[in-house]
Amino acid sequence: MSRNGPLALAYHALFVVFMLTPILVVCWVAFTPEGFLSFPVRHWSLRWFYAIGRYPEFVSAFWRSLGLGALSSALAVAVSVPAALAIARHQFAGREAMTTLFMSPLMIPHVVLGIAFLRFFTEIGLGGTFAGLVLSHIVIVLPFALRLTLASAVGLDSRIEHAAVSLGASEATVLKRITLPLVLPGLVSGWALAFINSFDEVTMTVFIAAPGTETLPVRMFLYIQDNIDPLVTSVSACVIAITVAALIALDRAYGLERLLVGKGSHGR
Amino acid sequence: MAFLALDNLSKRFGTQTAVDGLSLGVEKGEFISLLGPSGCGKTTTLQMIAGFVEPSSGAIRLEGEDLLAVKPAKRGLGIVFQSYALFPHMTATENVAFGLEMQGIAAAERARRVADALELVGLGAFAARYPRQLSGGQQQRVALARALVIRPRILLLDEPLSNLDAKLREEMQIELRQIQRTVGTTTILVTHDQAEAMALSDRVVVMNKGRAEQIATPLEAYEHPATAFVASFLGKTNLVNGVAVRPERIAFAAAGLVGTVRTRIFQGNHWLYQVDTASGLVTVIRQNTGDAMPEEGAAVHLVWEARA
Repeated sequence: MSRNGPLALAYHALFVVFMLTPILVVCWVAFTPEGFLSFPVRHWSLRWFYAIGRYPEFVSAFWRSLGLGALSSALAVAVSVPAALAIARHQFAGREAMTTLFMSPLMIPHVVLGIAFLRFFTEIGLGGTFAGLVLSHIVIVLPFALRLTLASAVGLDSRIEHAAVSLGASEATVLKRITLPLVLPGLVSGWALAFINSFDEVTMTVFIAAPGTETLPVRMFLYIQDNIDPLVTSVSACVIAITVAALIALDRAYGLERLLVGKGSHGR
Repeated sequence: MAFLALDNLSKRFGTQTAVDGLSLGVEKGEFISLLGPSGCGKTTTLQMIAGFVEPSSGAIRLEGEDLLAVKPAKRGLGIVFQSYALFPHMTATENVAFGLEMQGIAAAERARRVADALELVGLGAFAARYPRQLSGGQQQRVALARALVIRPRILLLDEPLSNLDAKLREEMQIELRQIQRTVGTTTILVTHDQAEAMALSDRVVVMNKGRAEQIATPLEAYEHPATAFVASFLGKTNLVNGVAVRPERIAFAAAGLVGTVRTRIFQGNHWLYQVDTASGLVTVIRQNTGDAMPEEGAAVHLVWEARA
């Protein structure tokens, strides 16, 4: 059952091909036995996948990126919840200014943020540290976390909380039993979007990361400056495989549409 | 001393006065309606009783106790909202059990009282459903059960039937009245629907621009409206030569005020007429008895009983 005409379908197909082709090509090239990037691949080999084992810094950078994304996104969501509830519920002086401030990292080029953070962190003794990475990533993923948290907070009927209060619930109980469970879909979506942005970030991070605190994209970026061998393609293929596996698992567990679009259908 | 006493209660939002010196005594077990158009201050009054809005001045006493000194969570009032405001992530049972849980009622008694409350509103079979799996009327019943199960000192109803369709609304009115009679809870209903207020209440408070225009039984307010506003708000009314006359009190006769039928509408149990007269357009309602009635364009004479 299709509601799209043949022209629209063809356009969508073209669009999907355009999006997916580079990813498929990268995966394909990863299986080359040659010592350089070659396409098309005529012989198959796992040579460059085994090669990852000789570069433990790629593996450690991957885990660092994962931890950095998870931690900075979680902290950004933690900051977003009270901010979103305040913005959604209350009229107060500086409300607009606060919203704009939280959203401002979206407007600032990451290269500018990178240089600014480099100076700042060096000044306060956080230069090249993981803590510095976390702080800077909180700043850049906060708009994404706040946007989705705010959307679910605005959609929450305050009379539901009033009803809970009238039934004898304290403020803490209302927050724990009513408010948080109801904004949870927004929090999860916000966290996921923030995580993706953090994991993907290279422009700013390349300024801040030092040897030993490099994230995976930074490690790959630095590697291809000095090398032209297909190692980065095998690393990319691994990341793509892990991403696809994670998305399938998430879709089975929660439904991707609900998670990323933030469509909260409550309960089960 | 009344069970619930509002004493010279006012609420100002900036320069706007939402409620203006409202005084009202509600007796225990009474069903009272705050009736008026939107913006008359009826909902603000309810919210001040519930504790969600703080009065600018005046006092609220419940059984002699200063209610304003009590936190909203400690007032022990049951509230039903127009939007139902059910907890969407909880089943009907969990919704109804919430208030008892807050009171620290033991699980066994809780389960029994929740089952009783759901039975009272006729939803025993729907206990395990989530709100989104229930119809509007069923959600409204869950909200009512949730408010009643805590044995509230007062039941506050904020336009509870406005989101239901006309037929269901009528059924729920009858049921609401029966349930209130059964449990005997003092009830305050906020509504803009004069028919609903008259059908349900022992007394109505007709409100306009933050003030109570009249506090009386529905019959008294209808028959002896204290002000022109009350007369026009409680059903249709004609002003003929400065005298207010209800449309159903006017009859066609052989002699009387001369007029011409402009429109005639058949409404099943009655006819609705608009008659052009020297004193202006007069609305007439006549019971349908099956007899032939004057047609559009017909010349008629109108008579009515003068009433004190």
